[in-house]
Amino acid sequence: MAGVENTGEAGATGGQEGPEASDGAYECNICLDQARDAVVSMCGHLFCWPCLHTWLETRRNNQVCPVCKAAISRDKVIPLYGRNSSNKDPRNQLPPRPPGQRTEPENQGTTFGGVNFGDTNFHMSFGIGAFPLGFFASTLNFGGERLNPHAGLQPGQQFHADDQMLSKLFLGLGIFCVIWILLA
Amino acid sequence: MFEQQTSGDKGISAFPDGDNLFSWVATISGAANTVYEGIEFKLRMEFSNNYPFSAPTVRFTSPCFHPNVDQQGNICLDILKEKWSASYDVRALLLSIQSLLGEPNNSSPLNVQAADLWSDQSRFRQSVLERCSSCVRQS
Repeated sequence: MAGVENTGEAGATGGQEGPEASDGAYECNICLDQARDAVVSMCGHLFCWPCLHTWLETRRNNQVCPVCKAAISRDKVIPLYGRNSSNKDPRNQLPPRPPGQRTEPENQGTTFGGVNFGDTNFHMSFGIGAFPLGFFASTLNFGGERLNPHAGLQPGQQFHADDQMLSKLFLGLGIFCVIWILLA
Repeated sequence: MFEQQTSGDKGISAFPDGDNLFSWVATISGAANTVYEGIEFKLRMEFSNNYPFSAPTVRFTSPCFHPNVDQQGNICLDILKEKWSASYDVRALLLSIQSLLGEPNNSSPLNVQAADLWSDQSRFRQSVLERCSSCVRQS
């Protein structure tokens, strides 16, 4: 209806026929406007790439041609380049995507304990010799956290150095015990 | 984006409801040689912001006695649900609903009574008219 009004002034001399003749031939099958960044499917149907991309994104598991339901995918459409259009592949110019969303995890407090328990596991995995120390170290760590839960780096490091020394000691003891058991 | 419904097709029409382009009022006339012949149904079509990538919501606003239309006017039609395609326009939708009127899918009815009565076309026609006497087109 709007089209008839527009051509009414310009086209008493058959100007109406021009647009009518090519009406729809180069229109996108989704937005019904003239196709921009045009691509054509293997089944011959014309789309704007942004339109087709959005359609394919809404049907990731069932990508079919909106017109004839033939199988279709990003790699099975052909970009169309007119004389004055840029030769860039429209498939590389995707419509802007919505940004990802990230929410902070809940229960910040409990993760601290989790880390300490992880430490204990780490020590335990080294073998029999380190086991008693791991238990001991974690106990010490807990003490340190409790005394100075927020900024206990300095004392923590001290504990750590002590731990390492004790760890070596116990490791040596452990190895000695194993060898002794093996020899006996 | 929206294809304006023009008078090119017999028996269907649709226009935006006032200034709201996302809500349309449509009419469908029952096809000739069906129980709905001479009856004009009104429908409302609600388009989401995502149209045409998701189907509009289409409901009968006139009472419609049909196996695939429930008491509230909701329509059970595959292309309004999982078979929707972005290339369907208002005209294609209304023509599909018009042909659904004459060819119901009685195997998955929303209105069981209508599905049972479908085999008796003259009684079915009576039921249609009882429920929607105001829909009969004045000619």
